[in-house]
Amino acid sequence: MTATLAFGRPVLVPLAAREARRLVLNPVFLFAVVTAWTTWTGGGSATPEIDNVNGYPAVFLGGFGMMATYWLTRSMRASEPVAGVTPTTRPTRTAALCWVAIVPFFCGVLTLFGFLHPYPVGDAVYGPFSPSARLAVLVGQIVIPSLGGPLLGVALGRWVRFPGAAFVLFLVIFGWVELVTILTLSHQDSAPVAVLRLFSPFAFFTVQADSGAVTAWRGSPWFFIGWQLALCTIAVLVALLRGAEGRVRSRIIRALAIAGVGAVILLVLAGTGGFTYAVTA
Amino acid sequence: MAGAVLRAGAWLEVAGISGVAVVVGGCGAAFPAAATALLPICFALLAAAAAFTLDEPASLVVDVTPTGPARRTAIRAVALLAPLAVGALVLLAAALRGLALPWAAAGLALAGNVLLGFAAACVARTRTGEPGAAAGAAVVLVLMVPGLVPQVARWVRTFPAPGAGGPSPDHVWWTVLAVCAVAIAISAGGRRLPRWRARGAIPRLPGAVRP
Repeated sequence: MTATLAFGRPVLVPLAAREARRLVLNPVFLFAVVTAWTTWTGGGSATPEIDNVNGYPAVFLGGFGMMATYWLTRSMRASEPVAGVTPTTRPTRTAALCWVAIVPFFCGVLTLFGFLHPYPVGDAVYGPFSPSARLAVLVGQIVIPSLGGPLLGVALGRWVRFPGAAFVLFLVIFGWVELVTILTLSHQDSAPVAVLRLFSPFAFFTVQADSGAVTAWRGSPWFFIGWQLALCTIAVLVALLRGAEGRVRSRIIRALAIAGVGAVILLVLAGTGGFTYAVTA
Repeated sequence: MAGAVLRAGAWLEVAGISGVAVVVGGCGAAFPAAATALLPICFALLAAAAAFTLDEPASLVVDVTPTGPARRTAIRAVALLAPLAVGALVLLAAALRGLALPWAAAGLALAGNVLLGFAAACVARTRTGEPGAAAGAAVVLVLMVPGLVPQVARWVRTFPAPGAGGPSPDHVWWTVLAVCAVAIAISAGGRRLPRWRARGAIPRLPGAVRP
């Protein structure tokens, strides 16, 4: 009975639709979507390498999306005494919130298609990556952060009481990405630095060399997508864990352990796979 | 009385965010190549910490005591010393590491960031008892936009990074300081009870016509 109520479609779908409507009307999310679409357009042939522009959708759809879903999740705290006595369990409500991430994910997919118009996969801005790896770079830098950021916001909103947690985490992740990217500039062939660079929900893969050509850093974009998806899974499971009881709780914990092991393996593969040294083309 | 007002402050939030700022700023000092990227983030965190200094969970009681808002704000402003001290410590560490920054401009940016957070909290405090989260988030978004949106970065710079083109951040921060001083003076001096409370005091019957 609990399981039916917990993840039953009849309850979940209306709740998810309602939460999605709230997210779409959230001013921070609207600002993020508009800014994500206006920042990277217009570069065209003036862009020397793809990493100059593809960080923006991740920052706005992922980072600001995380803040929006965090506030969406936290806004339910005031009604928790009332909502808590309804037959709909907290994991069901959390699952509905997690489904909301479909909206920014869809925006990310649209952004990817929009990106491919001025920056087609055959363009020189991607450097020496193969066509499939180029697509993986774009998916890992645009689409998956648009999904993962909002999911992280839900998990954060479920577990952290501090009201400023979302923007603090956003700044910490932003600073971490900046730091490890700058470290990579001076240690381009180092495997530990590559793993550090990829130990993040977002990572850069290319840099413009002094000669003007594009240098691809070591690391596998495909395994990086796997690592990101593992992080998304962990975020969902951590969010669902709040308020879960009995068998559902033990299942979530077991799945969390599996996802954690998978994430570590995928991170190592991402750091050691692909190019094993920086390649300039 | 000042001690009681200070004790009731949101010290955990102020100290917590300032602590994160120390870590981020410390990384900026430890890795000079990353300083111009990490110090603005550190300053934005300090602005967010400053926004929590006016949080008052017991505002429903405190707001009707004889102690006026100007005096309460003045006492709480002492808490700004925490983010300012943290910022000064980070700048000192960066100087000891040999970073070549325009220190006067960096100090001005630090003061401007912290005062911007405090001013946002002052303005929001006239509407809610705990303005920290909303004011902090708004300030962080505003401070990060020049670094994130290239169209804005062409016109506004918030950190005096050496060698960076574009307009000087000093003009921005002097303007911000002046506007914040006015905003704080107005908010702390002439605040009224939040509008929602005045409306909520007289419940209207369904169908009643507003006079």
